[in-house]
Amino acid sequence: MTHSDREVHIVIAAYCEETAVGDTVRGLRKRYPNVIVVDDGSFDRTAAEALGSGATVLRHVVNRGQGAALQTGISHALRVGARYIVTFDADGQHAVDDIPLLLEPLEAGRCDVVLGSRFLRSARIPPMRKLTLKAGVIFTRLVSGIRVTDTHNGLRAFTREAAERIEIRLDRMAHASELLDQIGRSNLRWIEVPVEVRYTDYSKRKGQSSLAGFRIAWDFLIGRLK
Amino acid sequence: MTPFQILAISGLTVVVILTIRAVARKKISPAAGVFWLALWIGGAIAIGWPAITVEVARALGIARGADLVSYLSILAMLVGFFLLNLRIRRMESQITAIVRELALNEPQTGAAREKKS
Repeated sequence: MTHSDREVHIVIAAYCEETAVGDTVRGLRKRYPNVIVVDDGSFDRTAAEALGSGATVLRHVVNRGQGAALQTGISHALRVGARYIVTFDADGQHAVDDIPLLLEPLEAGRCDVVLGSRFLRSARIPPMRKLTLKAGVIFTRLVSGIRVTDTHNGLRAFTREAAERIEIRLDRMAHASELLDQIGRSNLRWIEVPVEVRYTDYSKRKGQSSLAGFRIAWDFLIGRLK
Repeated sequence: MTPFQILAISGLTVVVILTIRAVARKKISPAAGVFWLALWIGGAIAIGWPAITVEVARALGIARGADLVSYLSILAMLVGFFLLNLRIRRMESQITAIVRELALNEPQTGAAREKKS
């Protein structure tokens, strides 16, 4: 059984990405017509660029964070009948060609969630970023018991049923750890596949600082008490 | 009694009356009323009759009454900070729910924009 590309909905959370989001959407829409951009309260032309590139745009009237924006996009995808949902970064870090690698195990019924991992493929990762990401992996293993190799990779794919069972409640960057936690608790079947992450000057500038790891850990632990 | 003790106890008496009135007018719950009354009355006793705090402190293995008051104040502030943090997070979640609902109710597509313009 193979999917129709129309059954795949790509969800992008975007905050002030006017220079990148248009190219990202156009690149995706060459193959996947259903691209949902959640403009997370941007004060620039992000929404206009996404609209002009053919995406469906949902607008957060105020900035709520990447986790909140992704959940909004996933909720919309479910409402409009998505069979597979893929989350994708707005800044052009991910490769469209990696998406079929994520969808194939879902279609084959081998798992419910596929997570992209930059560490399963040899790649040039800035040393400080690598250290922070590895710390995130250890933290996730300790608190969630889920043994992934890449905690904060924005490229993921879910079956509809898996997306319905997950609800991102942590609005900001801690959502990535929360997602893994929920996957573990929901007994969803998951695998990691190697994906490319391109580090450009733009993506490095837009990415999280290494110190943000502490805030993410704090948010995640406090979020568990809510 | 020193002038400070008289002033502080008078002030706390007013606050006690205001708290009782707030409970009577159902502005705060009875449980919250009991909590605040215990705090005000405890504070008044500690200020007006410090010897009592010394007795309590010694019973707890603390040398001075003033130290006991300091420890309890720090503890109360930390607990207050934590509870306030949780409350802010709950409010943030509610704001997100509203923002999300607004966004979901008005999805825009390139085609729709062209029609409008």
